[in-house]
Amino acid sequence: MRPSSTPFASAPPTVRPFSSSGPVAGSESSNFRPTPPGAPSTLTPFSAVGPSPPSRFIDPSVPSPSVKSVPPSGVPYQRFPTPPFPSAAQTPPNRAPPVGQPPFQPPASHVSVPPPSFRPQTQVPPVPMGSLPQNANFPEPPSDPSLSGPRPNFQPPFPGYPSKQPAVSQAPSPFSAQQGSFMAPPAPPSPFPIQQVSYGPPPPVANNLGYQSRDQMQHPGSAPPIGGVQSLTEDFSSLSVASMPGSIEPGLDYRTLPRPLDGDEVPSSFLEMYPMNCDPRYLRLSTSAIPNSQSLVSRWHLPLGAVVCPLAEAPEGEEVPVINFASTGIIRCRRCRTYVNPYVTFTDAGRKWRCNICSLLNDVPGEYFANLDATGRRVDLDQRPELIKGSVEFVASTEYMVRPPMPPLYFFLIDVSISAVRSGMIGVVAQTIRSCLDELPGFPRTQIGFITYDSTIHFYNMKSSLTQPQMMVVSDLDDIFVPLPDDLLVNLSESRNVVETFLDSLPSMFQDNVNVESAFGSALKAAFLVMSQLGGKLLIFQNSLPSLGVGRLKLRGDDLRVYGTDKEHILRIPEDPFYKQMAADLTKYQIGVNVYAFSDKYTDIASLGTLAKYTGGQVYYYPSFQSDIHGEKLRHELARDLTRETAWEAVMRIRCGKGIRFSSYHGNFMLRSTDLLALPAVDCDKAYAMQLSLEETLLTTQTVYFQVALLYTASCGERRIRVHTAAAPVVTDLGEMYRQADTGAIVSLFCRLAIEKTLTSKLEDARNSLQLRIVKALREYRNLYAVQHRLGARLIYPESLKFLCLYGLALSKSVPLKGGYADAQLDERCAAGFTMMALPVKKLLKLLYPSLTRIDEYLLKPSAPADDFKNIMKRLPLVAESLDSRGLYIYDDGFRFVIWFGRMLSPDIAKNLLGPDFAAELSRVSLTEQDNEMSRRLMKILKKLRESDPSYYQLPYLVRQDGWYHWLCRLDNANTPTSPAKLMIYRSSLLNVVNSSAPADESSPGVKTTTGKKGFARLGLLSMVVASISCLDVGQRQKTLKTGSA
Amino acid sequence: MAMGNLLGWLVTFFFLISLLAIICYQIICLIDLEIDHINPYDSAVRINKVVMPEFIIQAVFCLVCLITEHHLLCFLSLPYLFYNFSLYRRRRHLVDVTEIFNQLKWEKKQRLVKLGYLTMLLIVFIFW
Repeated sequence: MRPSSTPFASAPPTVRPFSSSGPVAGSESSNFRPTPPGAPSTLTPFSAVGPSPPSRFIDPSVPSPSVKSVPPSGVPYQRFPTPPFPSAAQTPPNRAPPVGQPPFQPPASHVSVPPPSFRPQTQVPPVPMGSLPQNANFPEPPSDPSLSGPRPNFQPPFPGYPSKQPAVSQAPSPFSAQQGSFMAPPAPPSPFPIQQVSYGPPPPVANNLGYQSRDQMQHPGSAPPIGGVQSLTEDFSSLSVASMPGSIEPGLDYRTLPRPLDGDEVPSSFLEMYPMNCDPRYLRLSTSAIPNSQSLVSRWHLPLGAVVCPLAEAPEGEEVPVINFASTGIIRCRRCRTYVNPYVTFTDAGRKWRCNICSLLNDVPGEYFANLDATGRRVDLDQRPELIKGSVEFVASTEYMVRPPMPPLYFFLIDVSISAVRSGMIGVVAQTIRSCLDELPGFPRTQIGFITYDSTIHFYNMKSSLTQPQMMVVSDLDDIFVPLPDDLLVNLSESRNVVETFLDSLPSMFQDNVNVESAFGSALKAAFLVMSQLGGKLLIFQNSLPSLGVGRLKLRGDDLRVYGTDKEHILRIPEDPFYKQMAADLTKYQIGVNVYAFSDKYTDIASLGTLAKYTGGQVYYYPSFQSDIHGEKLRHELARDLTRETAWEAVMRIRCGKGIRFSSYHGNFMLRSTDLLALPAVDCDKAYAMQLSLEETLLTTQTVYFQVALLYTASCGERRIRVHTAAAPVVTDLGEMYRQADTGAIVSLFCRLAIEKTLTSKLEDARNSLQLRIVKALREYRNLYAVQHRLGARLIYPESLKFLCLYGLALSKSVPLKGGYADAQLDERCAAGFTMMALPVKKLLKLLYPSLTRIDEYLLKPSAPADDFKNIMKRLPLVAESLDSRGLYIYDDGFRFVIWFGRMLSPDIAKNLLGPDFAAELSRVSLTEQDNEMSRRLMKILKKLRESDPSYYQLPYLVRQDGWYHWLCRLDNANTPTSPAKLMIYRSSLLNVVNSSAPADESSPGVKTTTGKKGFARLGLLSMVVASISCLDVGQRQKTLKTGSA
Repeated sequence: MAMGNLLGWLVTFFFLISLLAIICYQIICLIDLEIDHINPYDSAVRINKVVMPEFIIQAVFCLVCLITEHHLLCFLSLPYLFYNFSLYRRRRHLVDVTEIFNQLKWEKKQRLVKLGYLTMLLIVFIFW
């Protein structure tokens, strides 16, 4: 594929057989595809992701000498643009500067199908829009000299399509015709079939090409605009499992596995089809093409549903508008109670509106009336954000309240037993709370209160008239009572001095405490009694296993024999029904619980976390907390918890059109009725997932609408309803569902389902069912194409799901699911499970596939401009080859940093960064800023990384190359050394997917060879999949490398 | 003797009817919950209140059948007894208020089966 060695034109064709894309696109297509890279944004073989920055590029070629076909020289992306194009003649760089529309128009007639016109015809077996242009181009490239002109132009029009609608509207018909031919291979005009045969036997090079083609496919199948012209000649991407000469293990090179180096990619086609939809940060569907029939659903083996993050943080300038209807009252459908949204239609000269969800005709209230213009749009449309924007916030009137809006309320339940004192937790907590007092939301109504406990329970009277808080000790744990009716919970602004005095004296008050007991359950009940009047947020700081009173817990999980049996899951569910009952009661009284657990010993997070799970809270777990090491993390996360915008006493409901129904909900909340989520306290870091099911066997509508409504009390005391509306097309074609799939949402749903499954069955079963579903989905997808295309020994998958395998595997190796007894502490597993159940999509994906960045070059650069940050942060794939022993790397999974010092890293760097201790055992060194430029720069990088992701604080862990393996063991990010056996089933079933169509391929000799090497192929895929994500493998490889070199 | 027989018959009949009533009550609670007539807290409390009585009555019913020499009936209700016992041993006999909606289907199915079974027992009992 390098211009120098191979003319472009020749190389790509090899790809085609697999790429399957379609007859219409002949070999030219291959010429054509490479084009895009010519543009500034380059195409990297590996990156596999669309218009990605060159950065990603690094991964493939640089660190991987063994990829034969990618000559190591040169930076790949530079190769692309130049020579091939001229030779390829007919393809101009399609990213060429936007040219006006006029040139575009003529081609449009056959090129066709701008999204708007496309939408109505969803039932036509849709082809990724991106591919159309190609289609169009190919039939007559040589004959039409002007074509090269139009093509570049082609792109710009897309983004603007809404306005251009009329201009292109004639397009559809030609298109559908083409579409047909596109799907059916026998389409005559193209030379392709012949080529196909000739290229059939995948030469070894095919591997590269395979991925190359994938790169070109970058864009989720249907993304029309961004896709650029090049994107899809193919309907799917593939991974070859053919053998590859030169690599140690025959079989597919794991380097060719697509990797999500750009992090989470939100499919944009959806938004472009329905520009009035809410932003994907609020609502993501696992596929934005809703199946129209039960049978289609049953063939879609992936989860069908949505992930909702109702309060996601919006970037500056995109805040959700707040609308006050005041006298009119909020406009809602009479029957289904849908809120007015951009998709409702006004009729009858503006006197009526039709609900988009239940299609009931409603009256428009007098105050809301506006005339319609000639096109049927309201004349006041631009002053009505609720009719233009997918996300709005209504101010709710008193009819949405059962009581006056509650004030923000923070209640702290702090363990002061000896272990808490020793770890320094109390000091950090008191100090952090004190420093956040000014920033607690809701001034001046904010209320605050404290209880501390060891074997007794200590209440604090903070009445504003006192100068010092009064402590009252209750030691009767069985019959807990509140010693004072009021004043345990006080208004912060009134009692500010008392609260400050209390927090100042708290650490010293208990510094000599030698009490080892913890009457947690009783203290929780006491806090509940105090808070039940108002509700609010309860923060629990627990440092040991609850040992006294109700809710006392036993040490469990020690018995090795339980693992692998049917009783294993019991360890992951609360032991004492007290916790579930308590959680239910807390939710009922609008109390949200956040659990901070610190112990170095077993604390039964499974039980404690239940409190957070059913009250919409979260679990923070700091194993073996030491204030000098973890203090900063706790400080930051507690501060964020206290100061982030919180929605109080909230309920959330998601409505959807007739014929479909949300059937199950997954996340941290409690269901108050079949479809109402009770969320006592909710904030921007929480997401909820739900699954859809079809109620009717056949959906007749063209579009379904979803509306998320979150009714909550804002910290300012206003009752509000946040409404997110989205539309999605109904399709009849499974292929379209795949094309419109959203890997992020699917993985998020899978993650929640798998974690829930660990609560009722073995870890193994949870992993297997996850893998089985992915395999089934891929097999189904393969069946779609097996007939028309020669698939050979290739694993094919839709462009939109190119990362699914990777994430699926990463998921089964994530802390809550991985391995067995020894692979993760029980507490850690449970804590991670609770955390992942609430994570928004983006953060989850980052956790599953962390970023790895090399920074030593940047640190050494004499003067680096400050704005250079983006450039230096090139993500590397997580494979051993990415790590150079002369380098310094940052690995960031959103929860911690690992700073990896290569063995041969120049000692200067280490010295500069670590100061005098640079030679010491790194695990004992903490990273502090030294007085030199390099260290300051590193700190700046870390700071920037943290700023980009403020919901957790990433503590840096320092690791030297030789300590890599140990570090991995310590941090538990890796699988155990038994990994190969564990993933066997998954991998071999993936291969079954591949091999299932083997008979069809017998005709082609080349393929025969590959099937003959099935065994090897299997091995290769194994290693690929393992290596792709298993950090341990990185470690092991590193080890082998070391031993090799030594 | 005849008096004793009649008394035994009446007691067993009474137990059977009360079991049926309890199961019906639980099903009604679940249905109410499903159609959003009561909240999960009340529903769970109501159901859980009668679960233990149901189990005890059922056990006593078995015993009475045995004593009054209704061997067939006793034999027929043994699976029921065993099922209850195993539920109890696994601590699954009470409905879980936090997960009630997820378990609704199963809880309802289980009780409908019980209802059908009891009806069958009643028929056997009356016409045998």
